[in-house]
Amino acid sequence: MDAIVVNQLSYSYQVSGRQILKNISFKVAPGEIVALIGLSGCGKSTLCLCLGGIIPHYLGGELTGRVSVNGKDTKEYKVAQLALEVGLVFQDPDTQLFSPTVEDEIAFAPENLCLPVEEIGSRINKVLDILGISALRKENPNRLSGGQKHLVAMGAVLALEPAILVLDEVLAQLDPVGKKTINDILLDLRQQGKTILIVEHDLETVSIADRVLVLENGLLLRDGQAETVLADREFLLRHKLECEV
Amino acid sequence: MFSANGFILRVLSVKRGWLMAYIELENVTFCYPGQSRPVLRDINLSIYKEGVTAITGANGSGKTTFSKLLIGILTPTKGWIKLNGQLLTSLTLAQIGRRIGYVFQNPGKQLFCETVEEEIAFGVRNLGLGLSTDQVAQKVRMVLDYFELTRYAQVYPLSLSAGEKRRLAIAAVFVLEPDLLLLDEPTTGLDPYRKKLLGDYLDKVIAAKRGVVIISHDQKFISRYATRLIKLQEGQFVEE
Repeated sequence: MDAIVVNQLSYSYQVSGRQILKNISFKVAPGEIVALIGLSGCGKSTLCLCLGGIIPHYLGGELTGRVSVNGKDTKEYKVAQLALEVGLVFQDPDTQLFSPTVEDEIAFAPENLCLPVEEIGSRINKVLDILGISALRKENPNRLSGGQKHLVAMGAVLALEPAILVLDEVLAQLDPVGKKTINDILLDLRQQGKTILIVEHDLETVSIADRVLVLENGLLLRDGQAETVLADREFLLRHKLECEV
Repeated sequence: MFSANGFILRVLSVKRGWLMAYIELENVTFCYPGQSRPVLRDINLSIYKEGVTAITGANGSGKTTFSKLLIGILTPTKGWIKLNGQLLTSLTLAQIGRRIGYVFQNPGKQLFCETVEEEIAFGVRNLGLGLSTDQVAQKVRMVLDYFELTRYAQVYPLSLSAGEKRRLAIAAVFVLEPDLLLLDEPTTGLDPYRKKLLGDYLDKVIAAKRGVVIISHDQKFISRYATRLIKLQEGQFVEE
């Protein structure tokens, strides 16, 4: 079974009425790392929100077509149920963090799944450890720096151990050490058969992906092997996905 | 590479011998209320109204805190900061804002107008820059155009995508043409093409003898545009 199936997906926001996604179809197999790239405003974050079910459940608007994650149609399942399949790390961690301490933030989802206390404790320790943020355990997430907030948001999602992970520009704000940490985690998760979708602008960051999807003005412009797409400089330059500085 | 860069840095530092510091920090220590360990310790630093000063450092090293001190949102626990020879504490935030244009790390925090056009016009109109209505309109048009926001002129800023919000926040500050631009992670959320637009704009700013301070993890961007590199490490600056 495919981990992600997006079939003829179109979406317009309620407020602006702008159609952001236009008839998009693709599938992602379990254990694949897929990168989603494209110019600002092309619909990348909107697509992430569709995968987590935030669209259409919370944001309204008009959605046609079908999105399913691990066989669950996002229209038919609640966001809380979908969260067991898809871990979504938002672009702006402030929209995601709400607990008084880092530890509580990470414990929140496992606690609400009613996991045994020992299991929750060991998940917290594990996540803090692999992200290298054990020292921040008792800190208030709101007082952390931008990059640290991203790591905590990532931790809160990893603690759920979802089969599918969606990261919306999480790496962009991290220092080189943080980037390397996340990179290693992603490669490790792939080994375990998890499916990962990352949104990034930096083509170097994207190079860990197996496959690259390119969005342009809401259309899926290209879907190909990462090696092929990233080596096609003529294509990347033509679509402003790479620029000589 | 060492020789070329080293030579340029040498020339710059000689030049700085007679160039007056635009911002001066002396023995600046900052500690958040209720915390025992200071984020920044005994910092002595001069920032000049020239070139691009890049500030790097690990996540949580205090880069954003430092930038908030420079524009007076935070006040040092110890030590003092002078802007163009005047103590920062003797100036109002508006007076500081006329000289230093600050783009927040999270652009959503600085957008509040009804439309993109209003957002860009707000500072130009209200910071007391003494411009006529026509001059304001012309500046706004130019910036909208440069940052490719013209088609969103009448759109609600917070409905834009993250990258577009960032471009708007940058545009709303750039239009003020302050002496010094202070940009906290400005390339986050920008696609490569817009990064280049930003960089080209910085080149123009520098050519106009204004300065830029940029906080960033974006190695590629820094290595292309920075003229001075300082790293924040354990609460102190190390010049690189």
